Order: sequence, then structure tokens, then C-alpha cells
Amino acid sequence: MDLVASIQAGDVDAFEALYRQYSAKIYTLASRMAGSPEDGEDLLQEIFLQAYRKIGSFKGDSALGTWLYRLALNHCLDYVRSRRAKMNKLTETLDAETSFEPAARRDTPIARMDLERAVERLPEGCREAFVLHDVEGFDHKEVADLLGIAEGTSKSQVFKARLKLRGFLGKR
Amino acid sequence: MHPNEAALNEYADGSLGAAERAAVEQHLAACASCRQLVDDLRDILRATGDLEPLDAPVRAWPRLERAIRLEREHATQLTDEPPSSHAAATPGEAGSFRKYATWLAAAAALVLAAVVGMRYTPARPADVPATASAGSGAASAAGGVAVSIETELRQAEAHYENAIKGLEAIATTEQSELDPRTAATLQKNLAVIDQAISESRAAVRLEPASEPAQQSLIEGFKTKIGLLQDTVALINEMRKGNEAGAARIVSGLKQKGN
Repeated sequence: MDLVASIQAGDVDAFEALYRQYSAKIYTLASRMAGSPEDGEDLLQEIFLQAYRKIGSFKGDSALGTWLYRLALNHCLDYVRSRRAKMNKLTETLDAETSFEPAARRDTPIARMDLERAVERLPEGCREAFVLHDVEGFDHKEVADLLGIAEGTSKSQVFKARLKLRGFLGKR
Repeated sequence: MHPNEAALNEYADGSLGAAERAAVEQHLAACASCRQLVDDLRDILRATGDLEPLDAPVRAWPRLERAIRLEREHATQLTDEPPSSHAAATPGEAGSFRKYATWLAAAAALVLAAVVGMRYTPARPADVPATASAGSGAASAAGGVAVSIETELRQAEAHYENAIKGLEAIATTEQSELDPRTAATLQKNLAVIDQAISESRAAVRLEPASEPAQQSLIEGFKTKIGLLQDTVALINEMRKGNEAGAARIVSGLKQKGN
């Protein structure tokens, strides 16, 4: 019996095998989209629980990994949309422009952990566009469709994110 | 005249058309600051391309497994049917233990559900700029936001404390299942986290609107809940006789203790 059939038959060990294969990829996407490892962990839990519930409807039209990634992406997008709506409600009368103190200029190579932390600090909106375009590899049209924004907005958000990262990382 | 930042970004991306690319290159040959910007953007793109996947926390699978088992138990009860052969307990899970493990899983999952549903996201400084520069209307709105955030914080605090109480009850009752060294490590970690929570709470009392103090308190609660969830997961794995699962959790606990 293949992995999908075993999971559809309720085999938790088979589901664990699926989890072990894809958890890092999904957790990485969720943590970076949410901008927080803690929220990423909660999202990981919710995504796999949803996958377990929905695996019965998986017809094999795409690879299992593609199906799972799409489910994870949709869940992350729902999460950031709902969080943004909440935050907009709280700050609707306030200036949303982010201010930050640029770090002192450094010409050393960028350390991976420094970059991860800098991505977490990016403002909502430009962080999601940056993660989808520069990290996950979607083109601007796809990012625009996923986030429900114009293609030009996707470009400007990604550019804004890179410039902010430059400041956070002491590259100016 | 400098090219705009969008053009420099697209140049760094390699997505600029030939004519525009030539114009930017001509400018870069004579402009050190734009050259620096392009170099920096390329560094960032290179580093982004080199990012590696992050490892999910070790406790994530036991948490998920508990939630799945609980859901299956619930579904079985609803349909009032005997469990089918494929829904049988995994090897190592049998007899009276199964009933016990189900109770533990149910209790832990209830606490987990409460915490997962309660995502407290304090506003960042960027989202709530200084009222002095935002005008009087905005100042009043910011005041309202501060009150709202404090209220949310109090609700979150009560919620986390309830969750911690539930988990502590399970962990304390069942801690005799753990070997003394693991139990000592857990106690040491819990003492450190309690101290951090106590300090954060004092900081919030002094400055109720301080976002770093609020965040630090919430992080303390989350860390404590995570540790207690690990403890319950570990007890479950040991009762199931799943040495590999228990070893994974203990390894995570040790990392946190370092």
C-alpha cells in the first residue's frame, strides 16, 4: 500500500512519515510568513491537522508534496490576512509607515541567522511579498494573485523589503 | 540623475530590459553610492538564496499526534462504531494503558487547543508610532489602542495561566514516570522560566504600556507552556515504550536547558 493509501486508511505511522518528510519545509514557510517561530509552530500544527482531515479528498491530480504545500500556503495566507485585518482595525487612524534605526554599516557576509531575524522584523505586507518572491520563488504575478494585490504593488513591496533588510543588516 | 530604486532593484534581479540595463550600467560606472546599493541588494539576494529550511521543534509531532488521536477517538465515539482494524492502537499501546494515554492526550490537547486559539500579537512599535508625531486625533486613538492592548494582555495572561495550571497538574501528578535526571532538568528549566516570568510581570507592572515588557511576559508564558507540553509528551512516549520518540523529546529539553 502506498503512503497516500495508508494515510487515507487511517495509518498514523504513515502520516508521521509524511510529517517527517515535509515538516521542515512547511514550518519554514509558516514561520517566515508569520514572522515568528512561535506562530510558525502553531500554523504547522494546524496545517498538518487540516491535511489529516482532508487527505481523504486527495485524488492524486498533483504530487502529494504539491498538494500539501498549496494547503499550507493557503492556510498561511488566511492567517496573515486575518492578522492584518485585526491590526488594521487597531491602527486604522495611525500612520502605518515603519520607522527603524539602520544598523551601522557592515561589509562582512550576511549570516543566515541575522537574515532570518531581519526577515522577522519586516513589516507585514512587505514581508509576505518578500518571502513569496525572493525566498519561495514565485514571480510577481503569482505573488499578486496569492496576496490579492496588483503586480506593481508586489514589486514595490519586495523592493521595500530588500531596502529595509539592507538597513537592518547594516548594509548602509 | 540617479535611476530610481525600482530600476536598481530590477537591475540587481536581472529583470531589467536591455536598454534600461545599459542606461543603469552607464550610471553605475560613475556613481559609487548606486553601485554600493546594487552590491548590497545582490548580497541580500545571494544570502536569501542560501537560506536553509528551519527544523520544526521536536515537540511538534507529539503534539500533533495527540491531537490526531483525540480527534479519532472523538470520531469513533460519535459514530458509535467499534474501531476498525486500521484504527487500532500503534504497537506498544495496549490494554489499560490505552485508556490512560487517551486521558493524558485529551487533557493535553484541550490545553493545546486553548493556547493555539489564543494568539496574542502585541502591536509592534512600528505599528503604533509615537503619539507626539501623530497629531491630537491620532494621540487619542493611540491612547485607545494602548488601553485595548492592556486589556488584551490581561486576558492573554489569564488564558495562559489557566493553560499552565492544567498542564502543571498533569506534569506534577505523572512526573514519577520520568527518570530523576530528566525530572531535575525539567525542574531547573521551569525555575529559570518562572524567574523570567516574574521579572517580566514586575516590568509590566512598572510600565503597563511597555511593548517589550508585554512581549517578554507573553514569551515567558509560551516558553513555559511549551516545556510543560514537552513534559506531557515525554510521559506519554515513555508509557507507550516509544524510546525513539522519548529520546527526541529529551534531546530537545536538553537543548533548551543549555
